[in-house]
Amino acid sequence: MTLINKDTKLCDIILQEPSTITVLDRFGISLGVGDARISDACHEHDIDVNFFTTILNTYIEENYFPQTALLAFSASKIIEYLAKTNEYYEKNVIPNIERHFAFLINKTPSQNSNLVLMQQFFAEVKTELLQRIDDDRNKWFPTIALNEMKNIGKMPYPVKDTEDFNDPIEEKIDDLINMLIMHLKGEYDHNLGYAVITAIFSLKKDIKQNNRIRNRILMPISQALSCKL
Amino acid sequence: MSDFNVIILTHDTLNAIGLRSIFENSFGISAYIADEHYIDTFNTTKEPHLFFVDSLSLVANLGFFLPRRAKTVLLTNDHTPSDDFRTLCVNDNESDIINIINTFFTIGNEVEKNTTNSLSQREIEVLRLIAAGKINKEIAQELNISINTVLSHRKNLTSKLVIKSISGLTFYAMMNGIV
Repeated sequence: MTLINKDTKLCDIILQEPSTITVLDRFGISLGVGDARISDACHEHDIDVNFFTTILNTYIEENYFPQTALLAFSASKIIEYLAKTNEYYEKNVIPNIERHFAFLINKTPSQNSNLVLMQQFFAEVKTELLQRIDDDRNKWFPTIALNEMKNIGKMPYPVKDTEDFNDPIEEKIDDLINMLIMHLKGEYDHNLGYAVITAIFSLKKDIKQNNRIRNRILMPISQALSCKL
Repeated sequence: MSDFNVIILTHDTLNAIGLRSIFENSFGISAYIADEHYIDTFNTTKEPHLFFVDSLSLVANLGFFLPRRAKTVLLTNDHTPSDDFRTLCVNDNESDIINIINTFFTIGNEVEKNTTNSLSQREIEVLRLIAAGKINKEIAQELNISINTVLSHRKNLTSKLVIKSISGLTFYAMMNGIV
């Protein structure tokens, strides 16, 4: 997909990359977008156009590094976006996968203990993800916000590039998917099995895409802010 | 070749019977036509040498056939190539089919030796110790091997099982009765 700009229509973005529905949702934009362009929607919802397009491009395009645009953003806006993302995992995605898993296990003959172990593995992934969300909420985000307050008037701060690093949560979700695909044994309800695996796939995709926003936007800003002090 | 074990799994009965008769008449091998319960009751101690499957059965049992892709042949109606599996077109004439099957024997044997997905005894021991929470140094001491050897076993485990994290490996070990 070509990079998004202020003249791109929202419907074209969603049609080409349906997972952006959740991103738009975090900005308060819901379905029924008509033929509005990004600039119209941003005006209506009082969103910074540059910020909005940068988030979307980082989310959609793996090779997009938003270096120059960074300086103009306030950290609190990115925090607000990522906090909503975390809330979406906590309140929707995780319970959804748990529900699918519970249905699947419920319908699976009891001698198939494989799926129960996969469910336990997911529980471990869940704990780790919730722990990170908790750390974001109570440690990382407040520290950045505080540092930003102290730096008011001193902007723009120097921002260095950071490198993407392997996320252990992403790695475990990959493992869980591979285990379901390659190592599942015995009988199971195929329809519910499909529901579980697609739900985990979409979580993996969303985490991967939002990790780029964490690592390529918030991380360098957070480092720059703490260096200044 | 009499101990060569061939499984045919297809919804098309005539294809299955035709393929079985080619194996019997031209290769002296008795192929087994599997029914839909075959995969569910599959016994890993008797790994067949070659599987012939139609696309429906393949898709329905992808988790079973992907790790066995080296010895799986997809039955097709035309010559569209598949990225993951070798193919055999059921509409070809008999002599073409026999020639193609002949190439599967040589490749199948070779591949089986090199890239079989089953773990070696040593890899299983390393996996058991990983699952017990041991670090590389402890595993090396316990098995009396160098750390580099432990690392190479771990690398093989990860590439065979496609599982990277320690908890993933631990759950795999639990699922397979290794711990």
